[in-house]
Amino acid sequence: MFRRCSVLALALLAPLAARADDGKPDRYYELETKYLFGFTAGTDIGGEGEREFEMETTGAYQARKGRYSATEQEFEFEQVPSQYWGYELSLHSLSQQISGVPGMTNLSQTTFSGLSWTPKWLIVGRGPGNPVGLSLSIQPEWDRIDGTSGAHATNYSFETRLAADTELIANMLYGAVNLVYTPEYTRLATDPGWTHQSTFGATSALAYRITPKVTLGGEVEYYRAYDGLGFNTFNGAAVFAGPTLHIQFAPKIFASAAWSTEVAGHAAGENYKLDLTNFQRQRVNIRFGYEF
Amino acid sequence: MKTRMTIAGLALAALLAAPFAAEAATVRLTIKGGKFIPAEPHAPANEPLTIVVKNLDSAASEFESKTLRVEKVVPPGGEVTMQIRPLNPGRYHFFDDFHQETTEGDLVVE
Repeated sequence: MFRRCSVLALALLAPLAARADDGKPDRYYELETKYLFGFTAGTDIGGEGEREFEMETTGAYQARKGRYSATEQEFEFEQVPSQYWGYELSLHSLSQQISGVPGMTNLSQTTFSGLSWTPKWLIVGRGPGNPVGLSLSIQPEWDRIDGTSGAHATNYSFETRLAADTELIANMLYGAVNLVYTPEYTRLATDPGWTHQSTFGATSALAYRITPKVTLGGEVEYYRAYDGLGFNTFNGAAVFAGPTLHIQFAPKIFASAAWSTEVAGHAAGENYKLDLTNFQRQRVNIRFGYEF
Repeated sequence: MKTRMTIAGLALAALLAAPFAAEAATVRLTIKGGKFIPAEPHAPANEPLTIVVKNLDSAASEFESKTLRVEKVVPPGGEVTMQIRPLNPGRYHFFDDFHQETTEGDLVVE
């Protein structure tokens, strides 16, 4: 099965690895790092004047017992108004299928779930004199559905991400690290009280261009989940690892994909080797972007 | 107290205005026959910069540079102007995003 998938993947990638229309080998043009690393963000914001439409799918699958899948679809508009910052407006929908998962109500639903706005500031732009780029993004998000259980709720979250990246080999090998802090305020429809949660994460990734248009990589992510906004009560931690793929089909069209599996973790008060209470076993991210 | 606030206000205004007060150096580029002319312009480091691109070809171009962090469509026969932040010394690659393989150059900042 693995061999078949490998052959299929190579067959799909082969045309991209070949040559430009004029018969000359493709060149390794400069590549933006923003979506090169899967769940880990690169620091690039794009060029002033750039506008882009993106479709992003993020899935979380597999609980300890029962059947669990949550797939979020985002429709995003991106714009770069200056050489120092850009932003992204997103409309979210959520599709969840849950059955037999302890502590969760069985459900199957697909619905509009929320909105978000993500400004991103370039603190240090990678380039001559600055081998390391540094950026800060904040994502205020409103959701009407609890992203894990699917229950009707009012949820506000503010993902704050500090990213750094560099070119270890110019235009060929890239590396990135992220620190992520996400405080959340949630009120379930069935409960008038607000609850506070927070997640802290540290991620790192490497990406290598196997051809001018195709970049393969891998990333490792570590997350800790808490009750309370200031790391008050530890709920669990998980380590994810997995491969990433980025394809620049044309100067203005790209796709990226990442798959990460929980490889280690533990939840507070449990003796299992993975934390499948606060996190899911499998995570997937697929993005398609068109610049106009 | 009022005098102090006035001085502080003037100092702040001067600080905010400083990057714009200096006259920006200007780099003029022409696109002709699918090439940038000059293909290797020079510009001073650590100063605001203005890039003016004139397209003499019959096809539209898009001036773009990842490291300059700009992109702008230049219509056939048209001209565009871009303001660039002060740059570190080095080479900044630029290209026509509609004809990336043939129309390119490097801005040399020194």
